Amino acid sequence: MKLRQYLRIWLACVRYSLVRTMMFRFDFFLWSVVELAWMSVNVLLVEVIYRHTNSVAGWNKYEMLLLVGTSMLIQRLLMGLFWSNLFEMGRNVRTGTFDFYLAQPGNPLFMVSTRKLDPDGLANTVVAAAVIWYAAHRLGLHPGIGGVLLYLVLVAFGLVIHYSLFLLAASLTFWIIKTEGIEGSYFTVVDFSRLPREAFHGAANVLMVYLLPAVIVSNVPATTLIRGFRPAYALWLGAVAIVWFALAVYVFNRGLKRYASASS
Amino acid sequence: MAMHILTKYRHVFLVGLQSNLVYRWNFLIRGFFSLARLAVVFILWGAAYAGTAQIGGYSIGQTFTYFTALIALQFMIGAFNEDYQIGEEIRNGLINQFLLKPINYYLYRFTVFLAARVVSGILVFVPLLVVFPLLRSHLTLPTELWRPLLLVPALLLSALLQFTLAFCFGLLAFWFLEIQGFVILSFAAEMMLSGQIFPLDLLPPALFQAAQLLPFYYMMYFPAAILTGRIDLSSALHGFGFQVAWVLTFAIAARFIWLSGLRKHTAVGG
Repeated sequence: MKLRQYLRIWLACVRYSLVRTMMFRFDFFLWSVVELAWMSVNVLLVEVIYRHTNSVAGWNKYEMLLLVGTSMLIQRLLMGLFWSNLFEMGRNVRTGTFDFYLAQPGNPLFMVSTRKLDPDGLANTVVAAAVIWYAAHRLGLHPGIGGVLLYLVLVAFGLVIHYSLFLLAASLTFWIIKTEGIEGSYFTVVDFSRLPREAFHGAANVLMVYLLPAVIVSNVPATTLIRGFRPAYALWLGAVAIVWFALAVYVFNRGLKRYASASS
Repeated sequence: MAMHILTKYRHVFLVGLQSNLVYRWNFLIRGFFSLARLAVVFILWGAAYAGTAQIGGYSIGQTFTYFTALIALQFMIGAFNEDYQIGEEIRNGLINQFLLKPINYYLYRFTVFLAARVVSGILVFVPLLVVFPLLRSHLTLPTELWRPLLLVPALLLSALLQFTLAFCFGLLAFWFLEIQGFVILSFAAEMMLSGQIFPLDLLPPALFQAAQLLPFYYMMYFPAAILTGRIDLSSALHGFGFQVAWVLTFAIAARFIWLSGLRKHTAVGG
């Protein structure tokens, strides 16, 4: 029952976002092109590097393309579903408009996270999926329905991790009023997610692979699709997703207690 | 008269210095984020070089030097959010005061931009010096004397080019409510075609030739290549012709957009 109610709230938000997009059609077009341009930049980088070498940390060109595609897919999903909501949370906390979310009949975190959808981000998940499909085709992969579903579950774990990281950064706004540049910290993490895990050594390996979930987010789904299912790997990603999500929710709730609905 | 004009813009410069010093923490934080991106570059290219001594004729040290130099140059000549600031001044009517005063808006803005780059160009050396002990063994600069000599005019012209393009994009606010989309789109094109994602000489030869005809090449890659040894003397001298031509083209375009924008302008707010 409760779940159905949340689903209905979410669908209402989806409808609102779609109507809004239809009103600003040029904006939708422009921002879709913007995101497409940035994805092309990443694909081109792969093209250029592999003109001069056959292997990067044991990954060939199409394996690398699949990794980059996976990273893009997770990022586009975050952009499409949650980005502007969490991004605006900072501003709303500063101005006191955040009250509005607390007054709504539902879990504050849910209400904050799902108010708006960005159809341009979601439109580009299709492009990311096409890159992945093309790479898988060139690699001669035939994952079957089960393999595709497993991949999607791992991508969903990745999305949970990205959501948690960005929520953590955005929640800092409860303590530090000015949090400009938080998106910078998120994009930095995303930059690392386009690299193969095997390229990391020493301190970078400890920090980016084990302490921060920057690298495994994309590497686990991509490796699973390319080299087959390894339970330990998938469990690692699942556990990390749960831990970071719990941490982010905890920090958000602590922040919520601090919120004094001050406006300035 | 000339003296009088110089005094006027000297004051603008000093005010610009002060107002940008307010943002010193922003510049520093940005600088440290750049280091994270540099780490990504080192990890990626380090792995790419694992099986090969040279890529595109350059050693791993030369490639690292190129990307490290880019970071310093970005803070010294890059247009950060000048387009956004100009767009905002048009949108909320602050621009009206400049229309009534004996001051050229383009020169005023360029002077403020120079002041901002002096501040950020000095501050970027804080994060770079912090990691210098780690970087030192990877860096290798060419020693020809002509390189530092040509670097100075190349940097000035690149800064002019970067600023004038940003100025043109800012002026779009005369026609559009929201210019961020255009700005980020041009930023993506600029990042790639000015060599900030990969050194442009790694492109297939035909594409590299084509890139040299575009203005983006002269906004960042050109000075970076002069500094880090990816270009020889005759190509560098040849490149100056193109760079000057693009500066003039952009300046004329900016003038044209400015005049037609003013005709459209209704001076709301202020």
